[in-house]
Amino acid sequence: MIGELIGAMVFGLLLLGIHRKVIARIQGRPGPPIWQEILHTLKFSFKVSWVPRTASRVLFIGIVLVAIAIWVAAYLVVREGGSLLILFGIYMLHKIVEHGFGLSSGSPYGKFGGVRSVISAASEIPLFVSVSGIVIVTGSLLISDIAGWQAVHGPLLLALPPAAFAMYLVLLSKMPWGPFSIVESKEIVSGYKTEHFGIWRAGLEVCNGLKTSVLLYSFIVVFIGPLPLLWVLLFMLGIQVSLSFACALTPMLSPFDSVTVQSLVAGALLLYFLALGVIL
Amino acid sequence: MKKTTALIITIVCGAAMLLASAGAAAGHVPPLLAAGIMILAFPAGAMALFLWWCAGEGEGDIPFLGY
Repeated sequence: MIGELIGAMVFGLLLLGIHRKVIARIQGRPGPPIWQEILHTLKFSFKVSWVPRTASRVLFIGIVLVAIAIWVAAYLVVREGGSLLILFGIYMLHKIVEHGFGLSSGSPYGKFGGVRSVISAASEIPLFVSVSGIVIVTGSLLISDIAGWQAVHGPLLLALPPAAFAMYLVLLSKMPWGPFSIVESKEIVSGYKTEHFGIWRAGLEVCNGLKTSVLLYSFIVVFIGPLPLLWVLLFMLGIQVSLSFACALTPMLSPFDSVTVQSLVAGALLLYFLALGVIL
Repeated sequence: MKKTTALIITIVCGAAMLLASAGAAAGHVPPLLAAGIMILAFPAGAMALFLWWCAGEGEGDIPFLGY
């Protein structure tokens, strides 16, 4: 289990490196090497670290532990075929953790990033809409049951493309340098993670590696079905590259527009699933 | 936190995770308990490991907390 967690973290960081590389190449830049995020994590872990005077010391340190812990929990939920509601609850919890990161530092940039995290919780609305569609079609919220349903009926992606689209939008909203990445927008420096440097940033990178792996892995398990490991890794790479294209070709939206777009998509999907529920 | 303290936390967390993994695989540890141990020990172990290898050998606490 520990080996899987470390592997998921390293692969997630590698995917984030590929994400940066693809974006750079599309934008005509050479970009960093694909293992840059792994090097970042190691680099930060060796740096001298302290807690800023303006920070709330307990929250500043504790939130790093919480950030890693929730994605370890999310990985275990997917691995054990647990409930989608717990998994999606953790997705929501991550927004609160980002908020905690920002507020704990005492920095105005961190606080703005934290406030934007709360605003960007709107990105989770499509998540709940996709849950309703999955329940209507498969009759269960357990990932193991959904995998079983797909073994009989084929990938849920084909049976329920709007739900997959909603989930894809959620993945896009959680990718760095994307159209919905308002929490890390450059006008607020590095947003909620501005003041977390040194080993605290290394811990945050560990969290980001796990998060990326869990997000892509859960999408595959829920919408494509259980696959051999090699295929899972290849699908994760493919989805990541498609997300990188979307991030590279789409300008970052303003916070208001970001919420509006996600709410409109969620509303349209909700109408679709309501109609689907009536028909079925 | 002293360098030796960080090392002890790293070792304890690592050992707890290994025992939980092996115990769950062998059926001696309930899966929920193993998951709980992993959720608590992985972040603590990772951060203690970072603290340990960035710490100096001299006197004084690491990391330097406050100005």
